[in-house]
Amino acid sequence: MNRRRFIRNVSLATTGSVILSGVPLRALAGNAQLQQIAAAGNDNVLIFVQLHGGNDALNTLIPLDQYNLYYNYRANIAIPDHGTRKFINMDTTLPLVDQVGLHPDMIGFKQLYDQGKATIVQNVGYPDMNMSHFRGRDIVFMGGDAGDYYSSGWMGRFLDHEYPGYPDAYPNPTMPDPIGIELGNVISLAFHREAGIPIGINIHNPEQFYDLITNVGVEPPILFPDSHAGDELRYLMEFEKKSNQYAERLKLAYDNGSNSATSYPEAYPLSAPESFLHNPLSGQLKLIARLLKGGLKTRIFLCRIGGFDTHGEQVESYDSTLGAHAALLYHLSSAIKAFQDDLALLGLEDKVLTMTFTEFGRRVYSNASYGTDHGSATPIFLFGKGLKGGIMGTNPDLSDLNQGNLKYAIDYRNVYTSVVQDWFGASDEAMQATGFDEWTSSKLDLFGSPTGIPGRDFTNNNNRLLGCYPNPAVNQTTLDFFLQRTGSVHVEIYNTSGRLVKRYDPVAGQFGYQSIVLNLDGLENGMYMVKLASGKFSGSVQLLKQ
Amino acid sequence: MASLNPITGQLGEKRAAHLLRRSTWGPTITAIKDFSSLTADQALNTLFANPPVPAPPVDLLTGESWVNPPAHPAATLSNSEQNDLINYFMSWHLEQIRRSGNNLKERMTWFLHTHLPVAWSVVNSSEAIYYQNALFRHYAYGNFKVLFKKICIDNAMLRYIDGETNDKDSPNENFAREMFELYSIGRGPQIEEGNYTNYTENDIKAACRVLTGWRFDDTFSNPDPDTGIPAGVLETEPLLDPAPATRHDPGIKTFSPAFQNHIIQPAELVNELATTDAARQEFDDLIEMIFNQPETARFIVRKLYRFFMYYQISTEVETDVIEPLAATFRNGDYELRPVLEQLLKSEHFYDTDNAVTSDDNLGAIIKSPVEVVMGGLRFFGVELPVSLNDLYNKSYIGGILGFLKDEGLDLYEPIDVAGYPPYHQEPSFNRDWITPNSLAYRYHFSFALLGNAIEPSDFGFALDIVDWVRNSGYIADPSDATLLVQTLTTYMLAVELNEERRNFFLNDVFLENLPLTTWQTEWSLYDSGGDDIVVRDRLETLVSAIIQTPEYQLI
Repeated sequence: MNRRRFIRNVSLATTGSVILSGVPLRALAGNAQLQQIAAAGNDNVLIFVQLHGGNDALNTLIPLDQYNLYYNYRANIAIPDHGTRKFINMDTTLPLVDQVGLHPDMIGFKQLYDQGKATIVQNVGYPDMNMSHFRGRDIVFMGGDAGDYYSSGWMGRFLDHEYPGYPDAYPNPTMPDPIGIELGNVISLAFHREAGIPIGINIHNPEQFYDLITNVGVEPPILFPDSHAGDELRYLMEFEKKSNQYAERLKLAYDNGSNSATSYPEAYPLSAPESFLHNPLSGQLKLIARLLKGGLKTRIFLCRIGGFDTHGEQVESYDSTLGAHAALLYHLSSAIKAFQDDLALLGLEDKVLTMTFTEFGRRVYSNASYGTDHGSATPIFLFGKGLKGGIMGTNPDLSDLNQGNLKYAIDYRNVYTSVVQDWFGASDEAMQATGFDEWTSSKLDLFGSPTGIPGRDFTNNNNRLLGCYPNPAVNQTTLDFFLQRTGSVHVEIYNTSGRLVKRYDPVAGQFGYQSIVLNLDGLENGMYMVKLASGKFSGSVQLLKQ
Repeated sequence: MASLNPITGQLGEKRAAHLLRRSTWGPTITAIKDFSSLTADQALNTLFANPPVPAPPVDLLTGESWVNPPAHPAATLSNSEQNDLINYFMSWHLEQIRRSGNNLKERMTWFLHTHLPVAWSVVNSSEAIYYQNALFRHYAYGNFKVLFKKICIDNAMLRYIDGETNDKDSPNENFAREMFELYSIGRGPQIEEGNYTNYTENDIKAACRVLTGWRFDDTFSNPDPDTGIPAGVLETEPLLDPAPATRHDPGIKTFSPAFQNHIIQPAELVNELATTDAARQEFDDLIEMIFNQPETARFIVRKLYRFFMYYQISTEVETDVIEPLAATFRNGDYELRPVLEQLLKSEHFYDTDNAVTSDDNLGAIIKSPVEVVMGGLRFFGVELPVSLNDLYNKSYIGGILGFLKDEGLDLYEPIDVAGYPPYHQEPSFNRDWITPNSLAYRYHFSFALLGNAIEPSDFGFALDIVDWVRNSGYIADPSDATLLVQTLTTYMLAVELNEERRNFFLNDVFLENLPLTTWQTEWSLYDSGGDDIVVRDRLETLVSAIIQTPEYQLI
C-alpha cells in the first residue's frame, strides 16, 4: 500500500501519534487528557446529518493533484478549474497530493475550515461496501460489517448504556428530556435498541408536538394478551407514554430557548430544479440550536437532507456548477455555517459536534444523463469547535479504482469510535456495549490532545493551550486555550534561537475556553514559539509565519 | 408446526371479521355477519369477485376524464395543470378504496403499488401514474410474472428509476439494481464483495444492458396488446424492415452462477443492432431467468405474508408456510390467486394450527394510515359529498390526503425507491408506522371523523353518531349502555377486550361512573323528542375514546 501523508495538524509538533498508512492513530485508549476535553460532565451533543441518497464526493471535494484525470472521467459534470465558477481551493498550504477543491457553492464550509472548525476524513468505507441505499445506510447505523444484521443501532446501544432503564426510568430529574431526537417523520434504525422501543423520538417542532399530544389518548390497557397482538399493544403503549412525558419538556425547552440574530439560509440563489431550491436543513438546525439554548439535555439529534441520489441531472446540462447537487451542497454548507455561528453566539459552541453521513459515494465516471451511479468510498465531514480541524487521509487515487469506484482507506468505525470515546467520553464498558471496543486502538485523533513541545507542565490538568490556527499563518493567528481560573494572560513570541521577539499586552482571561487573536506584524517569515502564561500555568506552541 | 391445512366449517364472526379486516379495506357489521355463515371456500369465492373496471378519474374543470384510455372517446383539452390532476387521481384512487366491496381487488392493487412504487415528484405525469395503477388493478388477481414483464417497461416505472435513460452507449444501472434487490429476487447475504448470493454486481450490469433502449412514451399511444394500457416504447427506426432496436445494447450478456451462467443475446441482428423482436425476446428471457430461480417466489411470498399475516417470519414459518406457498406460486407459474387462497383459508391464518397463543396472529398487524382513515369511514358508512368538486377538494385534497401524510403516509411520494418504509424496512416493518407524531395524528382522526354533524364540516363529511346508533339497525336497544359498548368494541376492534377493559369504556369513559340508568334516562328523553346534546356528547366521547387507543391501531 502506498504511504499516504497526514497533513494539516494544528500544531507542527506531533505528539507521538503513530502514523499508519498516513492516518494518525491514537495508540492510547482512554487517554485521560483526551477525556478531559470531552469531560466537563460530558453532556456533549452530537448532530448527525444524513445526506440521503449517496453524496457524490468527487464533485464535493475535487482532488486537485489529479484534476485532468478527474475531468476526463466526468467531463459532462466536472467542476471547472478556471473562471468565476471554479472550485474553491480548500487549503493551499497542503502538499499538492492532499489538496482539494471545494464545490464553488460551499463558501460556508471553507470559512469553517479556516477557523479550524471543520475536519474532513477522506475515503471512508468498510470492507465489501454495499451499494444499496437501504443496506448501506443500515450497516452504518448498525455500526457493523457488511454481513451483519443487528436489530439495533450504535447510537441506540450507546445511549441505552448511558441511560439504563429506558423507558421506565425516564424521564427523571437527571435526564428529563428525550435522549435522542430525530427530526422528521420516521425513527431510523440508528435509535433502535436491541429490545423495546427506540431510545429516540421524532418530532417536527415542539409546539406542534405539544398541541398534538395533549389533546388525545386514553387510559392504557392493563393486560396485554399473550399473542403477537399483545406484543404490538405493548409497543404502542410505550410510545404513547413517552410522547406524553416528553411533550411538556420539549415545549418548555422551546419556549425558554431562542436563537441569536444569525440568519439561516432559506434558498439556493442560483439555478436548480424547483424541488431543490428550498433549504431543508436550516429549519432543523435552527430548531436544535434553540432547544439546546432552552436547556434541552438531549444527546443526539438526527437530521436529514435528501435528494443526493443523483443518477441523472446531477448538474445543469449547460453549467456543471449549477443544478440539483450544487443546491444540496449549498444548503449543507450554508446551513451548517449558520448553525455554527448561532451556537457560538448562544455560547453553545463547545458542546456541539456536527457530522455528516451518507450511505456511499458515487461512481467516478459520470453517465450520459449528467449524473452518477452508486459508488463506494466517501468522505465524512465533521464540524465544531472541539475538533482539531483539517483533512485526514489524502486524495483518493483515481487511477486505482475498484470497478469504477473509489477504494476506501479508513473504516467508518475509526471515526465513530473517536466520536463515542473522545467526544462523548465513553467508558470502556460503554464502548463494549456500543460494539466499538475493538476499534478503540485504531480510532482517529479527531479532537486533539493538549499540544505543545517539551517544557509544558503536563500536571496542570485543566489549564491547557490548544493551539493556534491558521498555522502556518500570514498576518494573524488565533490562539485557543482553556483556563481553570480567571487571571491575566500573557502571550510572548520567541524565535528559534530563544530570543523574545514580540510581546502582547496582557489580556484578562476568564474561566473556560477562549481565544486571542495575535497580530503578527513585524515578524519575518519563519518558525517561532508562541508562549502563553497565566498564573502558574504556561504553555507554548510552534507557529510558522509565511 | 405452522399449518397451511385449510380450516373447516363456517367461519363464525371472529374469523369472518379477521378475514375481512385483512383482505378488504374495513368491514361493516353487516359484512362481518354475512361472512360469518360462510365457509372459508365460500368466503374466498366472494372475495375474488371481479368488480367492473372503474370509470377513470375526471378533471374538475372539464368534467371529463383526461387519461383517455383507448376504449374511451378522446378527452377535450384539459385545463387543469398536472399538479391538480395528480390530486384528482389520488382522490380517485382513494375513492376506489373507500367504496370497494367485500373483495380483494383494491387490496391487491394497493399491495402491488407498495411493492412496485412510484413517486409523483419524479415522474410528474398523472397519466402515467394512472395507467400504472390500472395495470395493477388488471393483474390484482392475476399473474405476477406477466405483470412484472409489463411493469419493467411501464412508462411511470421507466421514468421513476431511470429506465428511460438506460441506453447502449451510456447504461444507467438504477433500474436493474432495484429490480433485483427490491422487486423480484431480493438481496441475499453478501458472501464477498459484489456478490449478494442471489445476484452479483455483474448480473446487475448485464441485466442493465438487456433493459437498454426503452423510453417513456408521452403520447400514451402504444397500448400493450394484452392489457390495452399504454406502455413505454422500444426506440427504433420504424421505417426500416426489420426494425432495429436503435438504443438497445446488441451484445452478449453473461450472467453469474447465481443464474446458472445464463447467456442472453439477440436472436437476430440487423446492421449490428438487435431487431426489435430480438430485443423484446431478450427482455422476456431476462424475466424468465429471474423467475426460474426458486428464491424469487420466496421473496414475493414473504412480501405477501407480511402484508396479510404478520411482520416477523420465524424459521418455523419460513419452513412451514413460506416454502409451501412459494412452491404453489411456482407451480402455478406465478398466478397470485392460488397462493392467496391457500394462505387465507389456512389454519395458520386463523391461529388454529397449534394451541399456543403467543404466536397468534389475529390483530397482530399495525394498520397503515389508509386503514385507519378508510376503516373508520367504512365501518360507520359515513357519506362523502356527491359533488365531485367537494369530494375531491374538500374531502380528499383538503382533508384525507393531509391526514394520511400526518399519520406517516405521503401518498405517491415514498421516501425512496423501495416504497413506503413500513412495507419493507427491516427489522420493524409495520411498527414504523408508529412514532410519537404519527400516533397522535392517528388518534386525532377521531375528531375529523366526528366533525360537527349539524353544520357542514370542513371536510364535507362527518359521522353523525347519534343517527348511526339510532337508525343503522346495529344497536337493538340504544338505551342499553352495556350493549352499546359491547357492540362497538367488539366490531371496531381487532383485539378482544377483557372484562376489565370493557368496563373501563363503559364506566369510566361512557357513564363517567354514573349508574346505567343515567344513560337509559338520557336516551329516552332524546328518543321521545328531546334535544340530542347530551347523548351526542356521550356517544362522541365513547367513539373517540375507542379510536384513541392502542387496540384501534391493529387489524
